[in-house]
Amino acid sequence: MTHGYIGAGVERDDRHFLDGTAQYVADVSREGQLHARIVRSPVAHARIVAIDVAEALAQPGVVTVITAADLPDVRIPIRLPMAETPDTHKFLQPPLARGVVRYVGEPVAVVVAADPYLAEDAAELVDLDLDELDVVTDITSAASTGTPLVQPEAGTNLVATVPLTFGDVDAAFARADIVLRDRLRVHRHTAVPMETRGLLAEVDQGTGVLTLWGAAKVKHFTRQALSGMLGIDPERIRVVENHVGGGFGVRGEPYPEDYLIAFLALRLGRPVKWIEDRAEHFVATNHAREQEHDFEVAATADGRLLAFRDRAWCDQGAYVRSQGILPALLPAQHLPGPYRWEAFALEVHGVLTHRTPVGTYRGPGMTEATFVRERMLNRLAHELRLDPAELRRRNLIEPAQLPWNFAPTPITYESGDFPAGLDRLLDHAGYAELRRQRDERRARGEHVGIGLAAYTEIGGIGPFEEATIVPRPDGGFVAHVGVGSLGQGVETVLAQIAADKLGVAMQDITIDHHDTDQLAHGFGSFASRATTLAGNALALAAEDLRSRAADKLGVPSADVELGGGRATAPSGRSVPLSDLGEGWGRFDKPHPSFSFGAVLSLVSIDAGTGQVRVLRHLVLHDVGRAVNPVLLRRQLTGAAAQGIGAALLEELLYDEYGQPLSTLLSDYRIPTVEELPDIEVIVEERPTPANPLGIKGGGESGMVGTPAAIANAVADALGPASGARVWRLPLTPGRVRELLRST
Amino acid sequence: MKPPPFAYRRPSSVQEALTLAAQAGEDAKFIAGGQSLMPLLALRMSRPSHLIDINRLPGLDELRQSGAGLRVGALVRHATLERDARLTGPWRALREAAALIGHHPIRLRGTFGGSAAHADPSAELPVVAVAMDATFVVRSTAGEREIPASDFFAGPLMTVLDPAELLVEARFPAPPPRTRSAFEEFGPRAGDFAFASTAVTLSTRDDGTVQQARIALGGVDAVPVRAYEAEQALEGEPLTDATVREAAGRAAAGCAPSGDAHASATYRRQLIATLVERALSRLKEER
Amino acid sequence: MTYTGHRVDSAWLEPDEHADLDLLVNGRSVRVQVPARCTLADALRERGLTGTRLGCEQGSCGACTILLDGLPVRSCLTLAVQAEGCELETAEQAPPSRELGALRRAFHEHRALQCGFCTSGFLMLAAGLLRDEPDAGAARVREVLSANLCRCTGGVPILRAVLAAQRELNGGHA
Repeated sequence: MTHGYIGAGVERDDRHFLDGTAQYVADVSREGQLHARIVRSPVAHARIVAIDVAEALAQPGVVTVITAADLPDVRIPIRLPMAETPDTHKFLQPPLARGVVRYVGEPVAVVVAADPYLAEDAAELVDLDLDELDVVTDITSAASTGTPLVQPEAGTNLVATVPLTFGDVDAAFARADIVLRDRLRVHRHTAVPMETRGLLAEVDQGTGVLTLWGAAKVKHFTRQALSGMLGIDPERIRVVENHVGGGFGVRGEPYPEDYLIAFLALRLGRPVKWIEDRAEHFVATNHAREQEHDFEVAATADGRLLAFRDRAWCDQGAYVRSQGILPALLPAQHLPGPYRWEAFALEVHGVLTHRTPVGTYRGPGMTEATFVRERMLNRLAHELRLDPAELRRRNLIEPAQLPWNFAPTPITYESGDFPAGLDRLLDHAGYAELRRQRDERRARGEHVGIGLAAYTEIGGIGPFEEATIVPRPDGGFVAHVGVGSLGQGVETVLAQIAADKLGVAMQDITIDHHDTDQLAHGFGSFASRATTLAGNALALAAEDLRSRAADKLGVPSADVELGGGRATAPSGRSVPLSDLGEGWGRFDKPHPSFSFGAVLSLVSIDAGTGQVRVLRHLVLHDVGRAVNPVLLRRQLTGAAAQGIGAALLEELLYDEYGQPLSTLLSDYRIPTVEELPDIEVIVEERPTPANPLGIKGGGESGMVGTPAAIANAVADALGPASGARVWRLPLTPGRVRELLRST
Repeated sequence: MKPPPFAYRRPSSVQEALTLAAQAGEDAKFIAGGQSLMPLLALRMSRPSHLIDINRLPGLDELRQSGAGLRVGALVRHATLERDARLTGPWRALREAAALIGHHPIRLRGTFGGSAAHADPSAELPVVAVAMDATFVVRSTAGEREIPASDFFAGPLMTVLDPAELLVEARFPAPPPRTRSAFEEFGPRAGDFAFASTAVTLSTRDDGTVQQARIALGGVDAVPVRAYEAEQALEGEPLTDATVREAAGRAAAGCAPSGDAHASATYRRQLIATLVERALSRLKEER
Repeated sequence: MTYTGHRVDSAWLEPDEHADLDLLVNGRSVRVQVPARCTLADALRERGLTGTRLGCEQGSCGACTILLDGLPVRSCLTLAVQAEGCELETAEQAPPSRELGALRRAFHEHRALQCGFCTSGFLMLAAGLLRDEPDAGAARVREVLSANLCRCTGGVPILRAVLAAQRELNGGHA
């Protein structure tokens, strides 16, 4: 029997967060620990003539100062085969700059001292002799001849080109009644979790085992990467996850600092701690999103979408980091979205610039692609005098057409009901009434607009996850998983699945995701995969444990009751759980799944200041199956709030010399409660056949359509002439005021 | 992001504080609420040799209203101004401005003197002080002097104070009868540094025409500036939609903001027009 | 170099000296040895009171908010030496003040947290507000809460929790 946890809004144990006892990595201390401070490049591109560390070394409390000369020539590897090409190795980042610095914030030296104050004092005294060089900061011209090369040995600033083609594009365009073409641009912005990154490394002098606290997201890969770079056996590295203050894609990738802090702990034989400060965070932690698209759409006069062409340039920053070419690959896979295109051809380029390297941020690629496509669909709707909702309704893939694939591209939609989802969103919003109210307010001179966006989202990326379930002497179970918790509550959700599949109470389950020593394999928490992959692996591990009991008891596994430290058959015969060994499960997911979502936003503009207020914001997403609807809704809400920030406020600005202009939380404006509406969440549950639990994932979904819907709403509020010029994000008050001026 | 090293001392009287400042040399600084200075220290944009903590000095936290006007002690907290129900009519802009400074915890601790001495071009209270013709009383071991607010600010984060001088009080002169004031600003988020701001004080005659107008602008220059042409457009005129618009337009046309990555010069000028119009419209409506 | 028994009201605390301070934290005396430049946040954390989080160290995020003499302050914008003799309350407070107790319950019930990193600061900010202004209206509460940043929840769940705690404190039902 099950307790019916799956699908229930089970409460999460949050006591430690409420009484201050949660331990983030900065809160962990080891006897005799030292503190590292990274010396970073103050310029975007320069030849390193010399680095003089003598004065820094002479400061009180300073133990050592290292530069690239002290390190072997290693590079941070790429962690996903799908994100590697035969050329990507040419662009990988060394932990400390070797000979040349390529972005403001690139690590060039590390000072280790007795306390963080002294380390910062000494770091200021590391003398960098830099010979400045020309920079490239424009993505559309980065790959042109004559542009300064970020990595001269590679001979190009072009990291990768992702071409995808489906159908006969030229023929489809030839039949079009209308063709629209424009440039669209998404800006550089990033996750900004409230906890900065941090690490603490210690070597056990007895066993030689290196322990690294502060990892997250992809612990097992971090261990593998460190093993390769440090030249030590992976079994001698233990990577531990503490409480994590938000990840959103940027935290927990292997960064230069992961190597540097581990290297220093090994070299010094003492624990070494590093806590990133917020100014460092804005130049050191992955940036995301910046790209420009040249998008052309073809349709019939009655609003049938025929085809699109897209050429795009996606910023990779100065190096290719652990996520490889995902910044270019993911937009490509999301440009078609949920529509019945007859054909498309796209070519997405990943290019280097002299700025902080780029990785993934919640809803990567899909958020940008959705903005590009959905803005153009609104333009098209206007040209065709069609309601934007109607244009979408006419072109969404019908449920009877699923599974749908854009062969030979890898884009495949397995399940769902896209038109029903859109209709549900419109119903929930009261679309007709909303339009009437908008028109009324407009008649009074107010600038009010409604925006819509529909999207697809990749999720459940493999290759696999493993799980083990170990009976404990006290009658409970420990479930070991390889995914991470980044504060999203995944441990609660996984405990619900394990408890239901074992048929025991949730309080008997402990989810252990903290330690690489406890599970041999694991890929981690990204791409909305944790619940799908680890959840299904846990379900298999539970079934394995039940089967073992069934074999011993000679009954079908469905008849086995677990509890009180024993497995019991209907006859009353029982065996102790300690005789069963461990339950083991591995869930393979060779192909990712796409899910559907849609967003509606209602905004008003203050004509005097250009400030946009989001009055209502609704997000709908098909999660397949909601294991914990309450936690899921919270995820969708939080992601949508980040999307509102991305659409209206947040931007990582640079000047023409590659100097970052948004390096403080006062300049990089994440929304406060005053800027956020009460976000309305609609959860669709249309289980996928692609995994036994039917889950599609939803950790990122609130983000994906949000900037697009807000941009469409702002364009609607501006009116047709100015609205058509909404081609870039964010829609800051200054930009919107500028657009208003021309009305 | 840790403060650089400095020496620290907490004197128990103004006189002692002044003596210490005179001895400590030109790189010494006073610290009161610390809400502006501490971020600069954290970023190591300020490296004082000595910090003289005046946060607890007695006698500097008084807010006194009399026939001669209003006296605001240097240690009066923003939250005190924000909550003082007496600050209406001619003094309302002071209260409105204080309520818009940063966020609640900042306002609980930040002080009038600190805000003035820090001289951030986007700060609220200096704009009000200029609009209200305030005088700043500063003291050192050499004695006391009075500096009109309009002469006090020398540039971004710069004042005419000598290092050993301490701002002890601001004196706001009694306004003409029937004077009212308002403050408006715009920043992209709640509590952000404002892109532009304005403080307006108006006194009207019996017939409703404007006798005296003072309009000060923030965020458009290195220091708060007066919008003289806008003031002239109002003086002798009744407050109507037309005169309000005219004054707002002149305020915008007459200022010369510089742009940055966060707000262009054009945008700041547009904001001035909007904000001056809003402040004046409120004063017109409330009459 | 340690300078035990230093009185910062009678002599300079030099840059390389440490002061011995008695801080009164959650009703208990906590002795810290700190240089003049040590922030109050770092002094508390150094003594194991790590519930006070550091998200920016320059006064923008509010994660380090504590109560100083009953009012919320950012402990990264206060020097430890400035807090000498003041009453401090932090997220660890046990037993919690009336306000903190109600807020903890409301944050749990309204699921006003995800990663939890901003939670201590929000709890203390709200505790200070509800004690100082028990009848603050919803708009005022919202404005005060805009002082702190949260990246997970979307903000409104935190507002709801604080309003619920306020109802409980004022004798209503949460």
